[in-house]
Amino acid sequence: MIQIWEDFKSGLILENPLLRLMIGLCSALAVSTRVENTLFMGFSVIFVLTCSNVIISFIRPIVPEKARIPIFIVVIASFVTIVDLTLKAYFPPIYEELGVWIPLIVVNCVILGRAEAFASKHPVLRSVADGLGKGLGYTFVLLIMGMIRELSGTGEIVVFGASLSCLKPYFEPPRIMVMFPGAFFTFGLLMGLLNWIQRREGR
Amino acid sequence: MERYFLLFLAAFLINNILLIRFIGLCPFFGVSSKVETSVGMSMTVIFVMTMATMVCWLVWNFLLIPLNLGEFLYIPAFILVIAALVQFVEIVLRKVSPTLFKAMGIYLPLITTNCAVLAAATESVKPGFFKLNIQYGYAIPEALVYTLGIAIGFTLAIVMFAAIRERMEVAPVPRPLKGYPIAFIMAGLASLAFMGFSGLFGL
Repeated sequence: MIQIWEDFKSGLILENPLLRLMIGLCSALAVSTRVENTLFMGFSVIFVLTCSNVIISFIRPIVPEKARIPIFIVVIASFVTIVDLTLKAYFPPIYEELGVWIPLIVVNCVILGRAEAFASKHPVLRSVADGLGKGLGYTFVLLIMGMIRELSGTGEIVVFGASLSCLKPYFEPPRIMVMFPGAFFTFGLLMGLLNWIQRREGR
Repeated sequence: MERYFLLFLAAFLINNILLIRFIGLCPFFGVSSKVETSVGMSMTVIFVMTMATMVCWLVWNFLLIPLNLGEFLYIPAFILVIAALVQFVEIVLRKVSPTLFKAMGIYLPLITTNCAVLAAATESVKPGFFKLNIQYGYAIPEALVYTLGIAIGFTLAIVMFAAIRERMEVAPVPRPLKGYPIAFIMAGLASLAFMGFSGLFGL
């Protein structure tokens, strides 16, 4: 039980896929323009990561060592297809905005990385915990980036049509933050902040 | 002829795959610490990407469309084509040209999970996936020119970035920002520069 909790917890900060392991960056930078997008992207990744971890952990005794990568990719690709078609059917505007990033979950290094490094070596329950933890860690960073970028770039955060907080009267929002360079700036500064906090704690 | 030139330019500069669209960032930060390795990586990307688009074009037009499976199976089909192709290229290169194999060897397995290859193949083959401002007919010469543009754009960005990062090693940087964080901020500045190309020739 403690082991499972440890597996879950490690993904949140210590082995956070984005800030610490530096994998799965592309999608994180691209979809974090709006909080709403990050929520959908985060849930898609959690779903695919957890489900593929379960299946891969189940079939791990019968998978031949040499053919494992193609087998993992096919498992992941089927779950991504489920997400792809579901979003397309029920949330067309979101699908339109996330665009290429949904199919690209297949090659998101977080998912294949966890399949290879964890799910193919550990029992099912621990793999579920690992998938959930890493997925939540990913979503968490995505959400923070989305909030920073949307708030500073457009002056307000809008989720499902409701405005959560509004700074518009106080300053002229720099549009650059919701455009491409803003993603790099935000992520670089976020990493720097984490390093700074860790160094202060270590002292 | 002019249309091909514009198509190339759109893929190469205006929608630069790394700095404007964030696709394929993992190798961008992973192998861009030395100019030499970044050149090796980008040559491999040009090679694999062009081949992958060609094969995916054939699979899409002669297999998925006649069987009416395009919408449902394009993700698994394309990623399997790419994975198989990379394996195949590796085997052939080892026999035919050991020197080239030595130069590309370490980068080849990495490329299977490089989202840039999957993105380039899907965009240039599947209609309605990515909207360009020019007319694009999804014929094979257009698909090739477009993919080549993407691949050479990748090369330009990664080699340029490696050159900057080599000098960055000796520059005085605030301690918490050393290493990756400053690289991200520099990428943001480079991306800012590339945004200046948008609107070129009305694209």
